[in-house]
This record gives sequence, structure tokens and C-alpha cells, in this order.
Amino acid sequence: MSIEDRHIASAPVDVLSDTTLATPGVRRWGRMFRALRGNALVLITQIAILVVLLGSWELATTNSPLNAFLFGSPSATWGFLVEMWKNGSLLIDTRITALETLLGFLIGNVLGTLIGLSLWYSRFVSRVVQPFIVALGSIPIIALAPIAIIWFGTDLASKVAMSTLSVVVVALITAYKGAMSVDVDQIYLMRTLGASKRQIFRRLIVPASLGDIFAGLKLTVGFALIGAIIGEFMSSSAGLGHAIFKAGSLYIIPKVFAALLVTIALALCLTYVVGKIEKLLTPWRQH
Amino acid sequence: MLPVNRSPENQPVADSLDPPLVVSNLKKVFGEEADTPSEVIADISISLGHGEVVSVVGPSGCGKSTLLNLLCGLLPRTAGEILWYGRVSTGMPKRVGYMLQKDLLLPWRTALKNVTLGLEIHNMPSGERIEKARELLDTIGLSGFHDYYPSALSGGMRQRVALARTLANEPEVLLLDEPFAALDFQTKLVLENDMARLVRSQHRSLLLITHDVEEAVSLSDRVIVLTHRPARIRAIHEIDIGIDRTDMMAARESPRFTEYIRTIWSELEVHRQT
Repeated sequence: MSIEDRHIASAPVDVLSDTTLATPGVRRWGRMFRALRGNALVLITQIAILVVLLGSWELATTNSPLNAFLFGSPSATWGFLVEMWKNGSLLIDTRITALETLLGFLIGNVLGTLIGLSLWYSRFVSRVVQPFIVALGSIPIIALAPIAIIWFGTDLASKVAMSTLSVVVVALITAYKGAMSVDVDQIYLMRTLGASKRQIFRRLIVPASLGDIFAGLKLTVGFALIGAIIGEFMSSSAGLGHAIFKAGSLYIIPKVFAALLVTIALALCLTYVVGKIEKLLTPWRQH
Repeated sequence: MLPVNRSPENQPVADSLDPPLVVSNLKKVFGEEADTPSEVIADISISLGHGEVVSVVGPSGCGKSTLLNLLCGLLPRTAGEILWYGRVSTGMPKRVGYMLQKDLLLPWRTALKNVTLGLEIHNMPSGERIEKARELLDTIGLSGFHDYYPSALSGGMRQRVALARTLANEPEVLLLDEPFAALDFQTKLVLENDMARLVRSQHRSLLLITHDVEEAVSLSDRVIVLTHRPARIRAIHEIDIGIDRTDMMAARESPRFTEYIRTIWSELEVHRQT
């Protein structure tokens, strides 16, 4: 849902840049002004909400050591961010978690998408495996964490496994849904042009599913990160999940928030990159 | 990749003596095993000769599109016989092009790439197929639009691209299902003209399925009128308006045109439906 919202929110900006290029004249300035004013208003409101929230949080914690202990404070969080940056742990932890997330994201999506798309080939196979997929999808990933550690050890591999597991079923289902929702008339047309099943798959099914596949990619960025962090919670010596878990165990709440902020930033970066790649690979779609 | 295969598809068919399409006593029932089978086509016999343009008109919902899908082998028939070039065909007949009201262009391909689709499927070398597609798009009036994505083209232009894609495979027979129904009157007229010119000059055969009586009469050598569902043949008219058959306006102005229209309208019994 948040992805959809972001699309809608970014739409006026795109329209604006298009029309300013396409239509000359005075009216465009009026339109641009109105659009800018609309965007500025949204941005100002967002900043205002943030300022009020952070301000009241800071106020409620400055004069009460108990509150500061229980809830942390924005200034202390910022202090830890600076400290983590200075002692280098921020970069190291981020790099490790990013690597685990990326590997899990890639392996999970490649596997899931390949299986999901290839299920299009055989109605029989897809019907056979359907209940297994539903069963696999309903397993809470966190329950698999101990097993992942027994099988893959306490290093990188177990986190990648956790991350992959949280991604693969979602990727599979979105790719399969994409492949199955291709217009029957479109398939008929390919057949009248003489296409074999393999050609229909390559030239029609795969490109037609790209929209759903990319929706899945955007969704699974977050899942991959969650998987990696859960893996780090179970057993690890570095990573953002490790930092969060350690700080939490020692009741250093602002440090938990600091590590969380970095995690959010990492998720936003990854989503941004996926969005860029989508634009690059599907230029025919109006983003 | 397979080597270039151009033997069966691209050979001229003039050497074949059998008419391109003969349909006899075709019948189609949906849901035969179910409690309430529905008979869509009761009994239809049609023949399409070399270079002939034949239209099938019928009241809406009479099973015209089902007929087309049966002819293409996209649906199994219940009874009857379909002969393509004198042979019983199973599955997709060769040398047949198919075009629907929906343009079904692939949105991720440019106009040019949409036209080359069928040629790619038949493994024509890249340079050759692009050359051919460019020529086709030019003759069909889309010279400046080769590299446009379908989303940037108007409905009429998209349908032109679809027509070019159908013609690119050089089908001997064209099967068209309401190809221009979604277009405005002017665009439709221009496209009908272009299509008549292309089909007649290259001696292709055309089976047009439509609910548009004027379109049927102005384009065709023969108009077959179907009854309400389950469809049977109600009447067959040889259209003789004695003028250049690639000029849709002239056809509409000929005195016999109105006569045909009136007769066919009365046969369609449109008033019974509403």
C-alpha cells in the first residue's frame, strides 16, 4: 500500500516536468506555480509534523531521567549516530547487513521468479505445488531462524538463508500471478503468428509479467532486510541487527533508535535503486 | 536458433487448386458434459475462394467470434469439417493471419518491433525483418511513427500497426474479427480503404466477421448473413455493385448499395432483439 501511495504522490511531479517541456506559453507558469505550491504545502506539513513529534519527545525527556532512560531522546539518538560514525561501527554494521540483505534479495527473487514464471508452463505442475507453496508461505520465518543457524552456521550464510527465505515465496507468488494474468487473446494471437510455447513464454509471458515482478521486488526489499535482521538477532557478531539487539539488551534505548534509523535509511536506499532499475528496464511504462 | 525457414509459409499458393477455406456443417456446443449445454453454432457451411473477400454478419451475440476461433483451431469443434487448402487441419492453420477488435499490441515493443513479431517467430534475419516492417508501416501511413510505443499512438494508428503485423507474415488468408469496430467513422473508412487496397492488390483472401452491415457490403464480394443463436446461415448475397472495390465511398454511393443494406438489415431481424 505504501508503494502505491508513493506512486500517486510522485505523479504530479512527473506531469509537471513533462508539461513544462511540452507546452510553451504563459499558462504553464501558472500551472507550475500551482503544482509547486501543492508540493511545497505537502512538504511543509510533513516537516511540521516531524518537528512537533521530535520536539515534544525531546521536551518530555529533558527533565525526566526516567523518561530519558525508558524512551531515549532525539538528541541522544543523534549523539549515538555521530559516535557510531566516528568509531566506524556504523559503516561496518551497515555494510554487513546490506550485503546479507542484497544476497538474500537476489537469491530469493531469482529463485522465486524463475519458479513462479515456469509454473506457467504446466497447469498440472502448478496445481500440484500450490498447497505446498501456501504451506511454505504461512511459516513464520522467525521460526526457521534456529534451524538456519544449525545448518548454515553463525556467519554470513545463515543470515543470507533467512533473508532468502523471507523473499522467495513472495517473489514466486507475484511472478506466477503476473504470468497467469496475461490476456488469453494475446496468447491466441501469438499462436496464430505461429509461436511455439517456448516463444510465447519468452516473447510474451516474461515481459508481460515484468510489472508484477517489479512490484514484488519493491515489496521484498523490506522482507529481505527483515530476514537479515532476524538472523542477526539470533546469533551474530556484527550488523545493524546485532547493534540493535546488543543496545536493547543493555537498555541503551537511544542507540537502538540510532541503529533503527540507519536500517530505515538502508531500506530507502535499496527501494530507490530498485525503482531506478525498473524505470531503466521498462521504459514503455509511464512511471 | 533454427536456420531460416521460409518453405511452407512464404510459398505462393496459386499452385494449390483447392480453395483456401471450406467449412461444412460446422457445429459448436459449449459445455456438452454440463447439465445445460449451450449450442452456439448449429450448422454453418462457408467457402472462401482465392482472392475472395467474404463477410459474415449476424446479430450481436450470435457466435461470430466463436466461429473465428473455431476456424483458427483455437477452440475444438463439436461437429462438422474445416478444410484449409483441401486438408483437415488440427490446430493453427498455416498462412493465415488473424486480427481482432483489440489491437493486442505488445506495450513493451515499439510499433516497428510489434510488426516484426511474427517474423521473429519465423526466424527471419534481423536486418531483413526490420526492412520489411519499415516498408509495411510506410505503406500503411505510419512513416513517422516506427519507434513509438503503442501507448503513444491513437486507436486508429494502433489498429494500423496491428494490420501491418498481420500482413508482415504474408498470410494468404486474413481472418478479421470486427477489426475496426472501436474506431470512429472517418478513421474506419480510411482503414477499410487501405485494407481493401492491400488485400485486393496482393490477391489475398479475406474473411471478415462484423456486425457492421455497411462495412460488409462495401468491402465484400459475398456477404453471409447468420441467424440468431444457435447460428445457421440465413442468406448469402453476392455483392455486385460494379465499381472499383477499393473505394469505400464510391461503394456507398452506388444505388445498389442501399438495396443490399436494406435487405440484409431486414434479414438480421434487429427489432426482435430489442
